Amino acid sequence: MLVRWSDHDSSHPAFDTLRRQMDRLFDEFERPDIFRAAPAGSLPVTFFDSGSALVFSADVPGLTDKDFTLSLAQNVLTVQGERRVRAPEGFVAQRQERAGVRFSRSFALPVRVDAERTTATLKDGVLTITLPKAAEAQPRQIAVNAG
Amino acid sequence: MSETTKTTKTETATPTKARVLSPAVDIYESRDEYLLVADLPGVQQSELSVNLHQGELSFEGVRKPGEAGQASQGGEIKYRRTFTLPGGIDADKIEAKLSSGVLQLRVPKAAALKPRQISVTVG
Repeated sequence: MLVRWSDHDSSHPAFDTLRRQMDRLFDEFERPDIFRAAPAGSLPVTFFDSGSALVFSADVPGLTDKDFTLSLAQNVLTVQGERRVRAPEGFVAQRQERAGVRFSRSFALPVRVDAERTTATLKDGVLTITLPKAAEAQPRQIAVNAG
Repeated sequence: MSETTKTTKTETATPTKARVLSPAVDIYESRDEYLLVADLPGVQQSELSVNLHQGELSFEGVRKPGEAGQASQGGEIKYRRTFTLPGGIDADKIEAKLSSGVLQLRVPKAAALKPRQISVTVG
């Protein structure tokens, strides 16, 4: 039994294709930098400086902690992982937009970080790595002495 | 409910501050049911709504700012998508599950649509 699932507002297949292309165009236009196409086999990430720490994050829906390898050596952070997408047992795919991906990315960190206190959490499909800066890289307040 | 069902139209008519994205979706079919899988990273269960209205199945998940992934971007993201259901499904038994940023919607087929084995009796 073949039943066609159609998106909302897509009664005609030709329009469907056109609409999808338009959607893609707009998606690319509207998406923030973190979503902009990463190289194939890669993983789009966000890095920011919270002052006392560098914070890394990436969207990894469906991945569990076992799907990752994280390492920190010589102030280089490496994130590796793989997401496999396949039809569950007994199911046939009708539409597959979610991509399987294998990624490995390394980042040379701009400041020294404290590897001991680095933490990684996985919540709601978002991986967050918090890398506290080493003592010498912490921001410091400098008092001004009135002369 | 009415707000989520008319996706594309309300978007253009009244632009909100939230960015609306259309998430990637997989659809699988088995003998007994359809399975719709969508990536909704950063969306918590309390921020997800699934609606069935006049044969259209829609979902919307809100990703709140303050998530680390968006700290530098600001603003919330709405993941939204609507599908027209094929006929012959059992609408009362649709189930939704959200785990690690992935939504799974199980849409059971109505009994009449399931393939049935017909035994042949030798006459």
